[in-house]
Amino acid sequence: MTDEGLRFVAMALAIGLGAIGPGAGIGVVFSGALQAMGRNPEAEGMLRTYMFLGFALAEVPFILSLVFGLLIGFSII
Amino acid sequence: MRIRNAVLVALAIGAVMYFGLELQFPREALHISVKAEALTCIGGEMDTAHPGECKSGFPITNSLVTTVIVDLLLVLTILFGVRKAKMVPRGFQNFVELVVGAFHDFAVGVDKKNVAKFFPFAATAFFLIMLSNLLGLLPGAGSIGMCQVKAKAAGAGAEVSAEPSRYADWPLTCEAGELLVPYLRAPSADLNMTLALGLISVVLIQYFGLKSLGLGYLTRFFNFREGPMFTVIGFIELISEFIRIISFAFRLFGNIFAGEVVLVVLAHLFPYMLPLPFYGFEVFVALMQAVIFSVLTLVFMSMATQAHGGHDDAEHGAAAH
Repeated sequence: MTDEGLRFVAMALAIGLGAIGPGAGIGVVFSGALQAMGRNPEAEGMLRTYMFLGFALAEVPFILSLVFGLLIGFSII
Repeated sequence: MRIRNAVLVALAIGAVMYFGLELQFPREALHISVKAEALTCIGGEMDTAHPGECKSGFPITNSLVTTVIVDLLLVLTILFGVRKAKMVPRGFQNFVELVVGAFHDFAVGVDKKNVAKFFPFAATAFFLIMLSNLLGLLPGAGSIGMCQVKAKAAGAGAEVSAEPSRYADWPLTCEAGELLVPYLRAPSADLNMTLALGLISVVLIQYFGLKSLGLGYLTRFFNFREGPMFTVIGFIELISEFIRIISFAFRLFGNIFAGEVVLVVLAHLFPYMLPLPFYGFEVFVALMQAVIFSVLTLVFMSMATQAHGGHDDAEHGAAAH
């Protein structure tokens, strides 16, 4: 395997493996928020705010792996 | 039933046309550019080896053109909307008030106390991002452009481009060996634009935090008074501020650029009916990413202005810094 091919495999692995955890985490965030909204509809406005906050925090690992994957793939590091 | 029959007939005709063309001509090479391509260079000249790049001078990229169009649209909308503002709105003013008022109600739900301070930036970001995402989905945005000569040095690429394209003698296509540089590109699919938005957002978050809490705002980053655990937490908070810039920039860029790539690849694989549901999904993503950006900005701003605990005195922050 050439060096460039190895870089592409590394990029695909970094992005793909990094997407597993955040995918599950975002699912948990939204399912919890939906359950809470169903049980207590009056709190929907506040819950929506915290839902987006949890979504953003759960997505950070994927963004980081995307950045590092692109850095590897375009041979910057 | 009638709709289903129509869809099936369209698919069948598409498949026949597609496979007929497929047998007759070789497949055209797919071209996706991660960065925005330069259309012209002010005070410089184009790089002839690499299409879409400037050798010197200030590059006018296709996403810059689209950004200017979006800016003009927003400014003209507001100018015409409030030019003859009346107490009882009519016509176009009614529409502008409806849209801005709906977002204002949403922002009040996030932070009721400080909404007047946060609303201008959050609403500007929302409408700018939404319009720029949607303009990138406009038919013709990625397919109408100018032809620039492709690099000859790229060994395998030169062989592919030498073959005649499937649409070689159709209008609005480039010659073999030339590359299409579109006139319009979604500004959010350019990392410069999203990085600038993320930087402005995070700097404004720090500004509002410092303005409302004074130097005590810094105690959440540099906290040496309450033991080593809070010192470590403050350090993590400091790093997470920088991660926010990256996550703002790459969330928007990644979603919009990935959407464009999905549409291009699906249209390349099978151009009839298949990209349609994904196009609808991309319209939804365009709205959703604008909402997420502005809501996160509002939430982070409202978190920055709230003192945590009862230990936010000004001289403590000054001593710690």
